[in-house]
Amino acid sequence: MGAFVLRRLAGMAAVLFAVSVLTFLIFNVIPNSDPAQRMAGKSPTPQLVASITEEWGFDDSLPQQYLTMMGKIFSGDVISYQGQEDVDNRIVEGIPATFSLCIGAAVIWMFFGILFGYLSAVRAGGLLDKTLTIAAVAGISVPVFWLAAVLLNYLAYETGLFPAQGYVKLTEDPIDWAYHLILPWITVAVTLVGLYSRVLRSNMLDAMGEDYVRTARAKGLRERQVMSRHVLRNSLIGIVTLFGLDFGALIGGSAILTEAIFNLNGVGLYLYESIENLDLPPIMAIVLFGAFFVVLFNALVDIAYAYLDPRVKLGTEAQ
Amino acid sequence: MSGRAEPLLSVRDLRVGFATEGGLVQAADGVSFDLAPGEVLAIVGESGSGKSVTAQTIVGLTRSHNARIEGTVRLGDADLITANDDELQRVRGERIGMVFQDPMTSFNPVYRIGAQIAEAIRAHRPAVGRGEAREQAIALLDSVGIPEAARRVDDYPHQFSGGMRQRAMIAMALALEPEVLIADEPTTALDVTVQAQILALLERINRERGLATILITHDLGVVAEVADRVLVMHEGRIVERGSLDEVFYSAKDPYTRRLLDAVVRIDGAPPLRAARTSEPLLEVTDLVKHYPVRRGLLRREVDQVRAVDGVGFTLRQGETLGLVGESGCGKSTLCRAALQLIEPTSGSVRFEGREIAGLSRREMRPLRREMQIVFQDPYASLNPRKRVGQIVGDPLRLHGVSGGEARRRVLELLKRVGLSAEHYDRYPHEFSGGQRQRIGIARALALRPKLIVADEPVSALDVSIRAQILDLLAELQEDFGLTYLFVAHDIGVVRHVSDRIAVMNAGKIVEEGPADQVCERPSDPFTQKLLAAVPIPDPHEARARRQTVGSG
Repeated sequence: MGAFVLRRLAGMAAVLFAVSVLTFLIFNVIPNSDPAQRMAGKSPTPQLVASITEEWGFDDSLPQQYLTMMGKIFSGDVISYQGQEDVDNRIVEGIPATFSLCIGAAVIWMFFGILFGYLSAVRAGGLLDKTLTIAAVAGISVPVFWLAAVLLNYLAYETGLFPAQGYVKLTEDPIDWAYHLILPWITVAVTLVGLYSRVLRSNMLDAMGEDYVRTARAKGLRERQVMSRHVLRNSLIGIVTLFGLDFGALIGGSAILTEAIFNLNGVGLYLYESIENLDLPPIMAIVLFGAFFVVLFNALVDIAYAYLDPRVKLGTEAQ
Repeated sequence: MSGRAEPLLSVRDLRVGFATEGGLVQAADGVSFDLAPGEVLAIVGESGSGKSVTAQTIVGLTRSHNARIEGTVRLGDADLITANDDELQRVRGERIGMVFQDPMTSFNPVYRIGAQIAEAIRAHRPAVGRGEAREQAIALLDSVGIPEAARRVDDYPHQFSGGMRQRAMIAMALALEPEVLIADEPTTALDVTVQAQILALLERINRERGLATILITHDLGVVAEVADRVLVMHEGRIVERGSLDEVFYSAKDPYTRRLLDAVVRIDGAPPLRAARTSEPLLEVTDLVKHYPVRRGLLRREVDQVRAVDGVGFTLRQGETLGLVGESGCGKSTLCRAALQLIEPTSGSVRFEGREIAGLSRREMRPLRREMQIVFQDPYASLNPRKRVGQIVGDPLRLHGVSGGEARRRVLELLKRVGLSAEHYDRYPHEFSGGQRQRIGIARALALRPKLIVADEPVSALDVSIRAQILDLLAELQEDFGLTYLFVAHDIGVVRHVSDRIAVMNAGKIVEEGPADQVCERPSDPFTQKLLAAVPIPDPHEARARRQTVGSG
């Protein structure tokens, strides 16, 4: 276990390094991205541009600039080009909203994904299964921006059932917190509920044909026990892998669109603004933040795997 | 016992049909039999004869929306065909225990062995606590011969060997002291040596507990060892029934006689072969394949698995060398290392006098056509999405034989292995196991190789099909001047086809010599153990052997 963690940490450092270098290089080849020009405002004097360049070190070599920025990000004093804000502070401020969105949505999609997948598999071929299949395919096919717009229009603007915008802190008012997050949660969860229920259904149908399921019946377990203890339990192993990847990716950036549409003051919204302004320091910091979670949840998936499937041992690669 | 005992289980006119796209498939067609208390009833038949369907229908395991089940299955006062799910659930495990073919897949891999046995107990006795169920599981495992049961009870299925898993499966079936045990091909997936142990265990349980047993098998050798009465099934019907001796010595039905004739006998005189004095084709010297065991952060090598540990043999042109040993003895690794499919750790392999150990993939390519493999599992080794013509023709096309010519040669090959031209455009799943193995052989033959490595080519097949495939291999050897390295765990099968036999144990060859000598005057104790495990398809001899073994 110790060796596994150390190896994973080394891998994580390598991934973060690669991601940050790529982001940095891409930013530097985008046309019209010279930060000094942009900071100097409209029709600036060459002297002003030169002095900003000098002051911020934009004339240093690229590796030097990269190292300076990485040093500042990790020591917590990186400043954005636009508005000269403390980037790390802004990220920390955004974390509650982002985590509230992601964790809440995850609870919803896992609960309904597993429930619908289970019902669908147990009643395979029946009316319930057919209904759920249609619903799942519809859910998977709906684009996030369209769903968000429809929810906002009918459930917020026209009927006023739910608030359209904003984030209320959990510590201030838990009920209002959930009330404000319901529409964003649904927006994120719908596609994933559809996807997970389909994957679980097919995993369970495969598992039902396994010999150990026949054994479970032959030893006299009730059908419900056969389904939950043997079929569902073994089918969840695949779902856990998917969940780790999806959840990491959600925190790492997939929630941007939802945060922007619902004006949730989270990390994603900050990234969205920073990209619009071609503001490198926050982009770099948030990309690192996101990559960190993607890698972290990948490692957690591996640990969960070893726990869920005793045949898998941590740290032993297949020959 | 005087008079005829009341039957424990009574099956009358059982019909099981499955609705498929191609119409109703009648798997069991009017099956009737009684099972008396304490007897061992064997149901024998080939794959698809309906024997497993019959057994599983007894406890309702074949119930599904497309199954049509008629007849009666009477256990005491209950009719299990009309019983509802709750009633059936109480019968399963409690009154009828089941053991299945493949102990590898019949346990759920994610739960501990003990927990799975305890689950069976607690499903019927909710009052039994977890701790108590665990104690019972330990006692059961101990009673079926699992060493250190108190420690092994917490192992997962993958930590058990195949034989131990089947013992544990039997322990689980016995957990609630059922009246009937149904063993559905309980030894088919096991090595011959392990099969002998499991059969002895089943026999002991039957003797000690008077447990009525239905033994389902395709192997008449197994039947002769343990059964009291025999039913022979063919195409869903019972074609022969009687006591063990009646069926073996005075079978009336022609199909039964054909089954009996098909059994490969270790003690029967194998075809005499002239001693080969030809040139060596494959010379293996001091071949070693070690797998490193790595641990820790830097993946340091802490140990080695010595899969092949210094093996040498010579295979002469036109002869067959049988390589025999138990699962895990390194025989498959040896074949792969000899053919350079995996890189040997050290040692020399000469093919037609030329050293091939250490050749690169590119250098090996032209030699590949000279050496081909026939694999064990004809279900897994043929790509299910390719047509037969493509499967057999692919090696030709890879080595530059084009369209029309390739097709002509594939058709010729299909005919040569006993298939026909109409099979060219079919998919593997449309064929039986024996036919699939013929496809595998045709593919191996496509490039006219000199050497064929047959890795357990018949162990996944029914006994009745085995003889046909072995005969085919012998004919092809004659016609094409092939040289065989024939690998199997069953020394009886190996003897049937080999000029010489090499016996392998724990990565080393422990005995090598002419087939007759190795089988009749074995010098190594391990060879003797292998020979003793081969079931004898003759009730008298099986009894005689059991007595000598039992007293010895």
